Amino acid sequence: MKYLKLSFFVVLIFAVGRIEATQSNIDIDIVIEGGMSFARPIAVVPFKYSGTSPQPPHDLSAIIAADLRRSGRFNPMPFNEMPQQPNQHTDVDLEVWKSKGIEAVVVGTIEEKVPGEFTVNYQLIDVFKPQQFVESGDLVTSSEYLLLNNTGVAKSKNYRFYSHQVADKIYEALTGEPGAFATRIAYVTVDRSLQRPYQLYMADSDGYDPQALYSSSEAIMSPVWSPDGRSVAYVSFENGRSEIYLQQIYTGQRSLIAAFPGINSAPAFSPDGQKLALTLSKDGNAEIYVLDLITRQYRRLTRTRNSVIDTEPEFSPDGQWILFTSDRGLRPQIYRVSVNGGREERITFEGEYNASATYTPDGKSIILVNRTNGVYHIAKQDIETGTMQVLTNTMLDESPSLAPNGSMVIYATIHNGRQVLAAVSTDGRFKARLPAKRGEVKAPAWSPFLTQ
Amino acid sequence: MSIKSLGKSILVTLPAFFLFACSSTTENTDTGTTTTEPPQVEVPDNVESEEDRMKRLNAEAREVRTVYFEFDDSTVKTQYQDLLKAHAWYLSRNPGVQVAIEGHADERGTPEYNLALGERRGNSVRDILMSYGVSSSQMRVVSYGEEKPANPSHNENAWEENRRAVLDYEG
Repeated sequence: MKYLKLSFFVVLIFAVGRIEATQSNIDIDIVIEGGMSFARPIAVVPFKYSGTSPQPPHDLSAIIAADLRRSGRFNPMPFNEMPQQPNQHTDVDLEVWKSKGIEAVVVGTIEEKVPGEFTVNYQLIDVFKPQQFVESGDLVTSSEYLLLNNTGVAKSKNYRFYSHQVADKIYEALTGEPGAFATRIAYVTVDRSLQRPYQLYMADSDGYDPQALYSSSEAIMSPVWSPDGRSVAYVSFENGRSEIYLQQIYTGQRSLIAAFPGINSAPAFSPDGQKLALTLSKDGNAEIYVLDLITRQYRRLTRTRNSVIDTEPEFSPDGQWILFTSDRGLRPQIYRVSVNGGREERITFEGEYNASATYTPDGKSIILVNRTNGVYHIAKQDIETGTMQVLTNTMLDESPSLAPNGSMVIYATIHNGRQVLAAVSTDGRFKARLPAKRGEVKAPAWSPFLTQ
Repeated sequence: MSIKSLGKSILVTLPAFFLFACSSTTENTDTGTTTTEPPQVEVPDNVESEEDRMKRLNAEAREVRTVYFEFDDSTVKTQYQDLLKAHAWYLSRNPGVQVAIEGHADERGTPEYNLALGERRGNSVRDILMSYGVSSSQMRVVSYGEEKPANPSHNENAWEENRRAVLDYEG
């Protein structure tokens, strides 16, 4: 009896601790709005744990299941509906999962061999591949159904990141494309009740563990990640006007990149990280420049008549082209120019306003903001055919940023009178809202693939 | 009555009054010089000189420091010409005074395009002030794009209030 009471007490404390941790460690939730009817049914069985700590720092199976669900490609079965909870592929009864309509099952074990060090084994099983079959009259046992059987070690500190990496591996095994769960999102929050209302944040791709990178009493705009994932460039008004800064994420070190007269705006890294395209109006009107980050030399790329706006430069994945927005034809449209300069070619023609374009990782399409009949949505245009597909149905959509695997776009929108983040898959099927606990959220920037 | 419509009503009445005052003071000064008859009543010390009266009326006219724009447009509407003349009158007579022209946009459209649009609106106001004789060295344009809304709501009324250029006298 005494033992029972004690364990109840421990569980209670633990539960309270969990709730507090949840409140302080996440500012942005994820609410899936639609598209799950296209998701493949799978099951992530809770991993079996053994070790000296009461339990691992995070619920690995739950993180994996949530990641896969959030991709829009998979619909993981709730734990309490599972017909069995095996931990080894040899214990998985393919027929019973098949009868539940499940296509793939993830099982695994977590073992704390050294305090704070967790050895994780995970296995991915294709339910529709046979474990045994008859070949030339003989019964053959096959392991083809075992798509993954990996073992790794996670420390307490990187346990969540490791969980996302496992989800990435499972996603890749099932779709043939790399996963982008072990990534982060940078974004700007505005909370006018604070002394420093403008904050630049970085959080895990699932909104967990938000960390303030910079806080200011003046506006912050346009964060972008360097291709190595170690720094962010952004626009700060801390000196009363737009200036571009580069900040090292892990040391916090900041350096001023551009503070010319006029606007200093829209930084974009080249794929090799050695150049920064940006918008400057020091010569009269907003034009595109390329800054060599090593030699610190500027090269002006566009030359338009006075009062025309050229802005929002973005490199192509091969680094050979720069997309930009220009209203040289009265309304903003997307143009592209070689990084070496030369002829500028208009590439959008649908709708009255196209801006903020970015290439998909395969370089075959662009994601952009389109206005048609006064309505702003995120759209995708095929470069070859020029066909445009509107992806979103939210309000005043802006600042689209692609996941590094090209599967998902995160963007800013207005929902219930507040600016919030939202996500849509690049095929337009899956839609999610990312409501914030307080204030307004904007300018999302998805990181490149990360290793830590 | 919203702040903006209040601004509009001041705008309609004050500059007209200011211009009228300008022309009438000129006449009064002329008649003042030809007058030979000494005043019958003692003039109180605190009576306002014509120069002071002009300054006061100009200062009143310049209390309006905001011009509003149409959606996605950076043309200064003709209704603001008298207001900008009042500011130009003051700036050209006070070459030591500096003014920052802040350009703003509403939130519709992309933040980066709007930063450039805010600058173009500021430049439109600067160019008009220059055409009225203000030295370019007295003015600087700073764009805040959609980042500093006068009204942070997400609706048509807020957007109207936010598409603006503001004259901010420095020092």
